[in-house]
Amino acid sequence: MKCNSIILIKFRRMYMLMSRRLKYICFVIPIIILLFFSSRTFSQNTQIKGFIDGLVTHEKSKLSFGFGEQDLFIASEINDRLSFLGETVFRYTPSSPTAFSISVERVVIKYNIKDNHNLLIGKHHTPINYWNDTYHHGRVFFPTIERPLLFSKNIIPLHTTGISIQGHDLGNLKFGYDLMVGNGLGSEEIFDNNKSKSLTAAIHIKPVERLRLGASYYVDVISKGSKIHDRVINRKVNQNLITASVAYFGKKLEVLSEGTLSINRTDSTGRKKTLAPYIYTGYKITEKLVPYLRLDNIHYQKGELYYDKDNMTALVAGMRYQLNYLAVIKLEYRYTHSELTGDGNKLTAQFAIGF
Amino acid sequence: MAPKIFLVLIFLSIGLVAKSQEGALTVISNQRGAPAILKYSELRSILMGEKQRWRNGSKIVIALMKTNTATGKITSEKIYDMSADELNKFWLALVFQGKAPAPAFFNTAAELQNFVSQNPGAIGIVDQLSHSDNLRTIIIDGKSRIL
Repeated sequence: MKCNSIILIKFRRMYMLMSRRLKYICFVIPIIILLFFSSRTFSQNTQIKGFIDGLVTHEKSKLSFGFGEQDLFIASEINDRLSFLGETVFRYTPSSPTAFSISVERVVIKYNIKDNHNLLIGKHHTPINYWNDTYHHGRVFFPTIERPLLFSKNIIPLHTTGISIQGHDLGNLKFGYDLMVGNGLGSEEIFDNNKSKSLTAAIHIKPVERLRLGASYYVDVISKGSKIHDRVINRKVNQNLITASVAYFGKKLEVLSEGTLSINRTDSTGRKKTLAPYIYTGYKITEKLVPYLRLDNIHYQKGELYYDKDNMTALVAGMRYQLNYLAVIKLEYRYTHSELTGDGNKLTAQFAIGF
Repeated sequence: MAPKIFLVLIFLSIGLVAKSQEGALTVISNQRGAPAILKYSELRSILMGEKQRWRNGSKIVIALMKTNTATGKITSEKIYDMSADELNKFWLALVFQGKAPAPAFFNTAAELQNFVSQNPGAIGIVDQLSHSDNLRTIIIDGKSRIL
């Protein structure tokens, strides 16, 4: 009996020793190896930036002070081929209990497949036109204070959660492409609300320095009952968007023109077309001072039900003064003519910074 | 009389050579990754973030002098054809569009050369290369200096 208990104690000691060794082999060594190799193979590089703008507006004989979105950016090189981009916006939202809301605008994990070809997964700015693909929420980059009308009137889907393949600067024409499959309009950030997927196919070329020509096609099926921009869509909509864009930001002259043709089809109304173009032009008087003009127009076909039909024209005239690359002052007058609300005049001054 | 004229001519030619080298830049790289010879168009494509991998597949890492340094200003004006502010804005926009990784910017040529020598795939622009074992000068269109 005594002999047995001694053997048992010895066995336990041996087991504990083995167990420690096993733990060491299974956990500690791999961690050491991983740390050793990870420190040898890459050094992570992360950049965090923010953007904010202050505003003064004069509209309907009333002067108001305010501020825009506070935009927080994170760009991180995780290793030789893997990178991350995050963009989160803090904005004034009257309906929120705290009067502010947090919105995740972009979460993109990018994997470099080969050379200039990448695989991206996450929440993207839909690469449907130049403005949406080039400017994010940081106002310091915008050539004007506000986005073109086709953004504020929700003509195009600004974000898509999905997966895409992207290529850039290929060949002599510096050809680029984006092919994206996403959840589509009406979906939540983590679930699609229907079986249909949105598809975005975009191409562009840069035939000469500072010039970019692009075109895209977007298709989606929006289910009946989808909630989009606080509106419930009460019928199924097949949406097709065709976009073309020309962007030239020269040493003196700046021209950006884009147009989207939207074709929305429902069983009851058939195909209804909406055309939403804009043209921006600026001229650098000096390196820092740029007067500019922008003309926007949206024309809806009679019987359009998916959009809030309100034919509209806007003329924007302004002046941009670039203090440095992280600070810009803009003064802008905007005249709008709306089918529903008539004429509107607004004077805005903006001080946008990056930090 | 003739030796004096000869001496004056020598000093003049030295002065002209020195003047022509003012503002000249040298492209340096780590011994690993970058080729020894590049066309100017290739160099520009690399520095604009258009080409992001070397021929062997390794990642290109760009090292530049800060735009408030003399070499940084010359780099932005002569290679990028941009003002200092334009260059900074160009890179900030490219990084936050998710199109390219940010270059590393430096205050001194010694810091830049040290970075390039320690990072395989790195390429940098300096006014002149001071010797380092792990660095080399890239020949651009047959020349070791670019204007």
